[in-house]
Amino acid sequence: MARMKFLCDAERCIECNGCVTACKSEHEVPWGVNRRRVVTINDGVPGEKSISVACMHCSDAPCMAVCPVDCFYRTDDGVVLHDKDLCIGCGYCFYACPFGAPQFPQAGAFGLRGKMDKCTFCNGGPEEDRSAVEFQKYGRNRLAEGKLPACAEMCSTKALLGGDGDVIADIYRERVFKRGKGSEVWGWGTAYGPGKPGAAPAPAAGAKS
Amino acid sequence: MLKLLRLARWSLAALVFAFPAAAAAQGKPAQDSQAERQQVQPYNNAPVWRDVRKEGQEHYTSIKGRETGVLVQSAGETWRQIRNNLVTVWGGFALIIALAIIAAIYFAVGPVKTHDKPTGRMVPRFSQIERWAHWTVAISFCVLAVSGLVMLFGKHVLLPLIGYTLFSWLTSLLKNLHNFVSPVFILSVPVLVLIFIRDNLPKSYDFAWFAKAWGLFMRNEHIPSGRFNGGEKVWFWGFVVGLTIVSSVTGLILLFPNFDQTRSTMQLAWIFHALSALLFILGALGHIYVGTIGVEDAYQCMRTGYVDEAWAKEHHEYWYNDIKSNAGGGAPAAAGGAVPAGAPQAERK
Repeated sequence: MARMKFLCDAERCIECNGCVTACKSEHEVPWGVNRRRVVTINDGVPGEKSISVACMHCSDAPCMAVCPVDCFYRTDDGVVLHDKDLCIGCGYCFYACPFGAPQFPQAGAFGLRGKMDKCTFCNGGPEEDRSAVEFQKYGRNRLAEGKLPACAEMCSTKALLGGDGDVIADIYRERVFKRGKGSEVWGWGTAYGPGKPGAAPAPAAGAKS
Repeated sequence: MLKLLRLARWSLAALVFAFPAAAAAQGKPAQDSQAERQQVQPYNNAPVWRDVRKEGQEHYTSIKGRETGVLVQSAGETWRQIRNNLVTVWGGFALIIALAIIAAIYFAVGPVKTHDKPTGRMVPRFSQIERWAHWTVAISFCVLAVSGLVMLFGKHVLLPLIGYTLFSWLTSLLKNLHNFVSPVFILSVPVLVLIFIRDNLPKSYDFAWFAKAWGLFMRNEHIPSGRFNGGEKVWFWGFVVGLTIVSSVTGLILLFPNFDQTRSTMQLAWIFHALSALLFILGALGHIYVGTIGVEDAYQCMRTGYVDEAWAKEHHEYWYNDIKSNAGGGAPAAAGGAVPAGAPQAERK
């Protein structure tokens, strides 16, 4: 069974924001919500590096751990998804997430945030795969169509890789050998780090009703 | 509010940055920047990765929003550990222990009873305004406490019992109640404090009350006190005044995310909000116990505003003497005029 992961190669990312656009267009994400963003360090000066970031689908996901209604679940592919019907919009996942992935349609007074929205690794939600309801709430379910995330597929420099962790790690390793630099796999320690010794990832919870 | 927050943030930032900047200017070479580093070591990106992990460091991004320029915030994990371990586990234990102690006192020792027979003469203790203020605060507090407890412990206690759909519906309702009832609480507490502040000023005999409080609950001993006893004054100053300030300020920070507070501000606010609220609930359990089943006739007193003379004399003797002498030594009931129908508890007996 594949363990889906994202990997952004900072040596290759050119901050074109193609991944951001691909994501917005693929899922018809509402205004103000950005499931993916590109952050540039040392912008405009020598040593500039850009990194594309979204939900990393952590092994020990903090969002899942702090959710007061337990609306998150993990699929067999290791993708962290959530049920918008259960979400109460408290914002705790946003406090806990290291990557700033959870998004809210509103940031209104009296804590009215609306339902949380985040990257689904193009894997939809608990609704029936590829149904209209699923698309409306979570966007397209490309994994169910046998495809990989739109952002990584559209990446013009192939800086952003999304797919089976073992496969993309191999691709990255080959690159590092060839170019002889840039071996830092950004964010992997935080997202897929060892966690508790011997702890196996939680089994998929399946649909919640 | 926004201006205040910005001011606080800037002054804090000025403090934080003033020291390292001064230190750097004194002699540390600026080779920590990536530009300098790659002159010497072309393949070394260490300064970039240090910047990535620097807490609260914002970089450029074309996506506008709160902290979108931050790549990794490590404080989230700290907050998670504090919330899920310290607050949930130890807060839960504290609540269970407090309930167990109260149950033990009630079942092993029993409620505090009035020794003398009720005289049938009723003394006015709380005016209508005082009771309205009290119950507005009390009911809003209970709504906030119950909804807060469900948001913190419900996942572990209620969810396994009632299932995901119902629990989510209930928590969503309670979350909105929590957010919209809180202004009622925040606005009504100051009124309550103003009303009761005079009678809650500490007096020398309050210390004697504490020395004997054990005897009051264990052996039904008589301790003279003013209109409010030492315990009530601690509840007033420590909880109603002190903890309301802490939980209101932190609560308002969480209630208005539209002011673009940073996540670290909200994490910190949440921790203080939860701790002060749990402490408040622990105190409230005690207050509600002595105000209902823990002390005979205490509940009737806050409900109707009248107490029997025997009760007044036994629990608040100095206050009783005061109102008696103010009323010219006559019947205490005369101080408050006629006793309204239905109010006197003597008729129940």
